[in-house]
Amino acid sequence: MEAFISSTLFFLTNDPDEETIQLKTMELFAPLPQLFTSGITFGAIYALVGLGFVTIAKASQMINFAQGEFVMLGGMLTFFLFKEIQLPYLLSAFLTIPLVMLIGCLLHLLVIYPLRKASLPILLMATLGASLFLSSASALLFGTLPKALPPFINRPPIDIGPISISLQSLWVVGATCLVLLFLYLLSHRTLLGKAMEASSTDPLGADLSGISRHLMIFIAFGVSAGMGSLAGIFITPIFYVSYHSGTLIGLKGFIAAILGGWGKHSGAILGGFVLGVVESLSVAFMPSGYKDAIAFVVLLLILYLKPKGILGSPFIDSRRW
Amino acid sequence: MKKIGWIMLAAFMFTTWMTPGYAAKTSPYRIGVNLELTGPWAEVTKTLKNAMMLEVERINKAGGIQGRPLELIFEDNGFEVGRAAANMTKFTRDKEILLVVGPFEDNLQATTRAIAEREKITNIIICPSNPMVRDLKQQWAFNIAQSDIIVSQKLVDLVLARKYKKVMVFHGAWPLAQSLAEYFKQFGEEKGIKVIVSPETHKPTDIDMTPQLTKIKPVLEKEKVDAFYACTGGPPGPMITKNLRALGIKTPVLGTHAFGFGFIIALGGEAMEGVEFPSAKPVVFDQLDENDPAKPININFDKRWRERYGTPSDQIAGYGYDTIGLIEDALKRIKGKVTRSSFREAFENTKGFKGTHGIYQFSSTGHDGLSKKDMVFVRIEGGKFKRIQFPGFD
Repeated sequence: MEAFISSTLFFLTNDPDEETIQLKTMELFAPLPQLFTSGITFGAIYALVGLGFVTIAKASQMINFAQGEFVMLGGMLTFFLFKEIQLPYLLSAFLTIPLVMLIGCLLHLLVIYPLRKASLPILLMATLGASLFLSSASALLFGTLPKALPPFINRPPIDIGPISISLQSLWVVGATCLVLLFLYLLSHRTLLGKAMEASSTDPLGADLSGISRHLMIFIAFGVSAGMGSLAGIFITPIFYVSYHSGTLIGLKGFIAAILGGWGKHSGAILGGFVLGVVESLSVAFMPSGYKDAIAFVVLLLILYLKPKGILGSPFIDSRRW
Repeated sequence: MKKIGWIMLAAFMFTTWMTPGYAAKTSPYRIGVNLELTGPWAEVTKTLKNAMMLEVERINKAGGIQGRPLELIFEDNGFEVGRAAANMTKFTRDKEILLVVGPFEDNLQATTRAIAEREKITNIIICPSNPMVRDLKQQWAFNIAQSDIIVSQKLVDLVLARKYKKVMVFHGAWPLAQSLAEYFKQFGEEKGIKVIVSPETHKPTDIDMTPQLTKIKPVLEKEKVDAFYACTGGPPGPMITKNLRALGIKTPVLGTHAFGFGFIIALGGEAMEGVEFPSAKPVVFDQLDENDPAKPININFDKRWRERYGTPSDQIAGYGYDTIGLIEDALKRIKGKVTRSSFREAFENTKGFKGTHGIYQFSSTGHDGLSKKDMVFVRIEGGKFKRIQFPGFD
């Protein structure tokens, strides 16, 4: 926050003399295509994290604030297996997914299941605690310095006119599409997916038809942890991973899920892309110090106009508004 | 029973007589150490802690200072201003504590400096001074590391040596990075370099600078900028370089002294190749001139460090070595009673102490120990730090 204030102050006090750059209207729009492209990459990441939130929400109406930590663990464990144990890159990435899924399932068994009779806010607090535990444990086990992974395919960025796209961004967008397809098939084509959704939309009905709701939530935790780790594996080569990097990315993913419509896979995807693109494009018109604040302003504006998110939410009762 | 009691007493007396504490006949000099042992800088401060412990051990093994050993008392401030201030106050209230070392990070030190000034206790700061407190002319705080002024001066030399005419500065939005940018602009323009300070900045938490750099890119091309100065520290440095290269910008990148860490190269990968920056000497100690006094000190320290911890030493370990060395040097020069004020006076009169980072000179007007001569130019080549030299610029 301090850095943010000083950045804006610095910008405001920095008089536009002949040394500082005067961006003319023409130049203002020149970077837009590139900013849009970078926004799409971020959007895909937010969408991927948002999908994790939605998967758990669809099974239990719960908000899992440890979702960002799954992303962090995805990057961290891959780094650990690849650099410390020196397994091949691909193998470490593939091993990481089940490992993080296991952590997700353990989180359910050790934190959520014992609190199954507690109210929703208490569960929320429990996941927040779990998130702190996971990030601190990662700091103790893997160290506090940031870590980076090499790109999957080491090639220079592709230039299309004024835009240059790094290959890793294409991987991220591809992964988001793949995960969306997987979730679509899971919830529309399999009995398991339908049972998961039923346990959230109509708990009593699910109980009556013999669906074990706890088992469904257990599976949802595993699936969402797996998706989080996938996001972590794909984004670490673009950015870096450190023990506290999960918090902000988890928050942004949560915003994406709310923005698009809480409880809808398509909503999380749309919300993620809207958030990513708006955030990135805002830089063209405003100092970059406002970038993180823009996300929240956009969220507020959209929720004023559409309280149930862009695509509407099955969980939020409109009568309450 | 009585017999056993006598034997125990005899044994107790014998052992106490044998211990060095008794041999020294005096209590140790207690030094409070206020560090970010947890939080994002935990690994870096652990290196500092280890280096200080290694040095204190060496001094105590050699019989201490005039028979009195040193003792370090560590307190963790968790990278929080409140806890750093609480630790500082705790140390100052303990009459046994002679001086306080730390905190390490720039944003915590303004508070502890103010407490040091009020309570009249020496506060040794590791990272460069916060530019906002420089004008206060504080009497009780001393800086170990290279200040923003000398880093900027050395960088201007690098720019002149490379014959760059126009430099774009992309700086972080925190006081130290801002002051590095301002000093670079000031010194650079004195030497006829055109310095363009970007109105776009970044925060330490920014993991992607592509939006800002996209906005700067047309200016870089239009103004035909010769070099891009990533005026920052920590992870943003390699991220800027990485994002620049991903945007297809080939402009040479200049960095700050905060680029001299192995993890910075690891984060940036191939993009870091060719980055040049003014650096502290321990980063390339094996490549220093033969007649440089810092070279044998570094080689000797690195050997002891490797024997003890099994890893190569780095510039942070060097700060630990220099801090304890400076304290030892000051204590040895005190004639008469060692008090907080006599220690401050002795420390302020440090002249020509040779450490791993160079030669320290303190005076009543200069509380930054090092000078421009204690820095070298470094280029990243093949994933390693390589010293570069220019005739007339060393």
